[in-house]
Amino acid sequence: MSELLIKNACVIDPLRGINAETMDIAILDGKIVEDVSGAAEVIDARGALTLPGGIDSHTHICGTKVNFGRYMSPEDMRAGRTPRRGPMHSTSGYSVPTTYGNSYRYSAMGYTTLLEGAMAPLEARHTHEEFTYTPLQDTMANALFDGNWGILEAIRDGDTKRVAAIIAWTLRAVKGFAVKLTNPGGTEAWQWGKNVSCIRDPVPYFEVTPAEIIRSVVEANELLHLPHSVHLHCNNLGTPGNYTCTLGSLGLIPDLNPKRQTLYATHVQFHAYGGSGWKDFCSKSEPIARLVNMRPQIVIDMGQVMFGRTTTMTADGPMEFNLYRLHHDKWSNHDVELETGSGIIPVIYRRKNLVNSIMWAIGLELALLTKNPWQCLLTTDNPNGAPFVRYPEIIALLMSKRYRDAEFATIHPDTGSRVPLPAIERELDWYEIAVMTRAGQAKALGIQDLGKGHLGPGAEADVAIYPIRIDEVDPSVDYQKVIEAFGRTEYTIKRGRVVSRRGDCLVDGSNATFWVRPKVSDDYDMGKDPDFIEKFDRYYTVRMRNYPVQEEYLNRNRCIETEAEI
Amino acid sequence: MIVKDVVCPFCGCLCDDIEVEVEGNRVVSVGNACELGTTKLAGEKRMKNPILRDGNEWKDITYDEAIRYAADMLLSAERPLLYGWSGTHGEAQCVGVHMAELVRGVIDNTSSVCHGPSILAIQEVGHPGCTLGVVKNRADLVIYWGSNPIDAHPRHLSRYTRYADGFFLENAFRDRKVVVVDIRRTETANIADEFVQIKPGGDYAVLSALRAIVRGKTETIPRTVAGVTREQLVRVVDLCKEAKFGAVYFGLGLTMTQGKYKNIRNAIELVSELNRHTKFTISAMRGHYNVYGSNEVNTWMTGYPFGIDFSRGIAFYNPGETTAVDILARKECDAALIVGSDPAAHFPRRCLEHLADIPVVQLDPYPNATTAFCNVQIPVAVTGIDAEGTAYRMDGVPIRTRKVLSTDYPSDAEVLSRMYALMQEGREG
Amino acid sequence: MTYLMVTGRTVNQGVTVENKTSAEYAEETSTCFMHEFDMLELGLDDGDAIQVTGPCGEVVMRAVASAEVEMGTVFVPYGPYANHIIDADTHSTGMPDFKSHEVEIEPTDEEPKTVHKLMEDLGGLAYDR
Repeated sequence: MSELLIKNACVIDPLRGINAETMDIAILDGKIVEDVSGAAEVIDARGALTLPGGIDSHTHICGTKVNFGRYMSPEDMRAGRTPRRGPMHSTSGYSVPTTYGNSYRYSAMGYTTLLEGAMAPLEARHTHEEFTYTPLQDTMANALFDGNWGILEAIRDGDTKRVAAIIAWTLRAVKGFAVKLTNPGGTEAWQWGKNVSCIRDPVPYFEVTPAEIIRSVVEANELLHLPHSVHLHCNNLGTPGNYTCTLGSLGLIPDLNPKRQTLYATHVQFHAYGGSGWKDFCSKSEPIARLVNMRPQIVIDMGQVMFGRTTTMTADGPMEFNLYRLHHDKWSNHDVELETGSGIIPVIYRRKNLVNSIMWAIGLELALLTKNPWQCLLTTDNPNGAPFVRYPEIIALLMSKRYRDAEFATIHPDTGSRVPLPAIERELDWYEIAVMTRAGQAKALGIQDLGKGHLGPGAEADVAIYPIRIDEVDPSVDYQKVIEAFGRTEYTIKRGRVVSRRGDCLVDGSNATFWVRPKVSDDYDMGKDPDFIEKFDRYYTVRMRNYPVQEEYLNRNRCIETEAEI
Repeated sequence: MIVKDVVCPFCGCLCDDIEVEVEGNRVVSVGNACELGTTKLAGEKRMKNPILRDGNEWKDITYDEAIRYAADMLLSAERPLLYGWSGTHGEAQCVGVHMAELVRGVIDNTSSVCHGPSILAIQEVGHPGCTLGVVKNRADLVIYWGSNPIDAHPRHLSRYTRYADGFFLENAFRDRKVVVVDIRRTETANIADEFVQIKPGGDYAVLSALRAIVRGKTETIPRTVAGVTREQLVRVVDLCKEAKFGAVYFGLGLTMTQGKYKNIRNAIELVSELNRHTKFTISAMRGHYNVYGSNEVNTWMTGYPFGIDFSRGIAFYNPGETTAVDILARKECDAALIVGSDPAAHFPRRCLEHLADIPVVQLDPYPNATTAFCNVQIPVAVTGIDAEGTAYRMDGVPIRTRKVLSTDYPSDAEVLSRMYALMQEGREG
Repeated sequence: MTYLMVTGRTVNQGVTVENKTSAEYAEETSTCFMHEFDMLELGLDDGDAIQVTGPCGEVVMRAVASAEVEMGTVFVPYGPYANHIIDADTHSTGMPDFKSHEVEIEPTDEEPKTVHKLMEDLGGLAYDR
């Protein structure tokens, strides 16, 4: 039995409507409780800002594509090396750190739960292996379905229930958490070297459109009562003028769920571009934010770009190829049979580059123009926009107009005529930041009922104590202090244990993987469906019996069972 | 009893449709596998127990004694080398990395003498590739370059290329073209639609010539390049450009000849270039069933795929300096732990001369060439037969090898974990 | 006579690779596949012993004719015999010149050694149970 008492914490807990109340937090055996005995270990927070542990709802940290990024970039590895010290293993990497690197650095920033943005079901085992070596955060993965043959055929046949059945079988098999669509239809077209140009452009051979894929998969997701909504990386990422495609995609979504959004659109910065080419490239964050403001069924995340080196990696194979043609650096591609694909290229975002400057502004605009912080969450699509260690700077930019102006003065001088950012006065406050970095994520992912994202009794004791007293700091002026504070916690507590103290990780970690197991009727059990089985064994190169991720890969895990409507 | 969907632990094809008949504690027959897999799965003559070299004799010792010997050896070494890793499961590979990190040694795997140069090329220009099933279902052109699958990956052709069924190909055998490029007319060359014979060492020049032709600069090409006529070069480029999906598979014919990683870099750049015209991928024919796994494990844990030196405390990577052949040739290591490989059979002589001078412990089920240089050998279970664990196929797809029978042999992961625990105690104490 | 020695995998080498103490492994990996004209020039019949000298030593193999190799090139399956004469210099790549060594070949009266003997010559102790 282990007891911990955090005294004098200045708590902001948006899921419980608590906004800067000084209180004690009692923890017993890894859970928040009403109170503990006098024998409890005590941490005196001394009025420091105390939040639920950080939750990243879209980050690329584990799996085939991420590891590809690592091993093709020894120069990135050399840019961030630490030796073994105490319980901490050696780490390497700057934009694509090793798994221990990711875990320790996220922990130093107070993050205790991470969602891997893209996992190809065929290679899920790899993601789970890397989860085991990311020991200080609970993990979960988005399973990719954008190019899934079984689903494309079911959509062509108008059989949404079959779409749901295939998703159910696959998520159970690969221990996935949620449904991800990346450039729906485009990743299949890319296996012929093609792409789709808009949501009405049919996929070669299968003849279904991205719009049909999105609509059908969203419906199917709701039939399965999954905790998270469909997670969408829109078509046409990175293309000038793509904002119309984004509006079109978001416009397809009905409001199907009372507890949370019906669609989570990710890294929308990359999808908010105006203009018809690079010469007249401009920001279209305003129409996007306007639509999000009118549609409570949509939640987006920023996908903020920060200047400097990083590595882009997504399942969007064709996009990465086009990016490679622009940058003339190295390029990796990895198409996955019957399912999806991926591409990786290293990039540098430069202040002198007008397009990059506009991209930087757009991410911030989306967060500032979206009225409700629960609808726009803070991410960089790590590492695509920037490595996650830059989050504190983004927080500071959102909280301080002065900081934004100072940065704006250093970017391309023509940016002002292409973006609305300079005219935006809004400064987010501590509460809104807490929403955008944890409470909002918990709600969007549907894990608040599992005790994540808040500090009420019964919750997981995941707590981040930041070295800042918010009554003494004006974030609008002292943005440097904001950056320092969010960069390194005084304490990061996971399941009631102090795992990180001023940047040093203290324990080996024992994380849990969250996954879903939707229960379907026998009629919709693909494990018994002769057509599914026959096609599987004929066209995959792995036997159906060897495909599922075995129990051995799960260690501690939280399985969320849902009752599907099929 | 027949066990189905068994995963073959021999080559990088990692076929997982093998059927094994087990009686008592023996494999009595193997179905679906090629000769290499069948022989491995039916393997006999395992070493019965750990052995210790005592002067000019071999003594039988216990597992505890053997593991203790190894732990002590690694702890007291100044620059230990931990080598091999391709012939074992991922769970063991992970322990190996922790061990190397603890004793600040060098950990390297068989890539360094196999597709290490391919990785060096990938680190320069990237890797446009795909999983094997993508090729099986779509490729209408397959190019084997410096690779002889009939001998080294016998079922590659039937499971993934020449003879495999493809979703998008009505008549795969007729609709697929196979081009083989090699310095000698191998068995694989005999089944090719187009055989390109290159003079040894000429791959780089031929690849450059092909790239020039792809870019429309045929007029700059001389009449022959490394023994290949300009006509044939043009024919090959036409085949590439007309293909709907081309897949290049290359082997040691590119990694081991003059130019080494530069050859592969040129091939990758050719494929990247071809992607501007049609869809093309390129992949390495990885030799061992889990060599890619050792790259994957090493990478997610240290940042680098092979040749990792922990002597500075951080992970340090410099192939040519931190790779096993070089470390042994320069007599730099003062102890060696060999797991799942046989360097005495596959390394140049000078390396063996040094192995003879230092303490060596090997984990291997069978007596092999390295046994002669061991101080201790610890027989372990065979992954895929009496031990299970993760293996990564040549295209990066991870498959869990199956245990088809139980024996008393401990797995690599078990032995290494026990060794590592002793080493941790030793360090703290 | 000087030849280019290329080493590589063969099915027979692979089939015996887990059984390196066997006679079959020794036989396969000590085979030097040569063009029949090259063998004629040296006065060799199939199976005759040859001394192969490389940059760091010599080893006895057996010559076998093969239609697959070109004149001036010989092919030896991967293994301890070829490696006995291959230099450890990797030119800073980690990879020795497994496919680009120039060797001298001449007939010999000696027999190829066993794998055990090769290892013992270099300081090892054969394990023979």
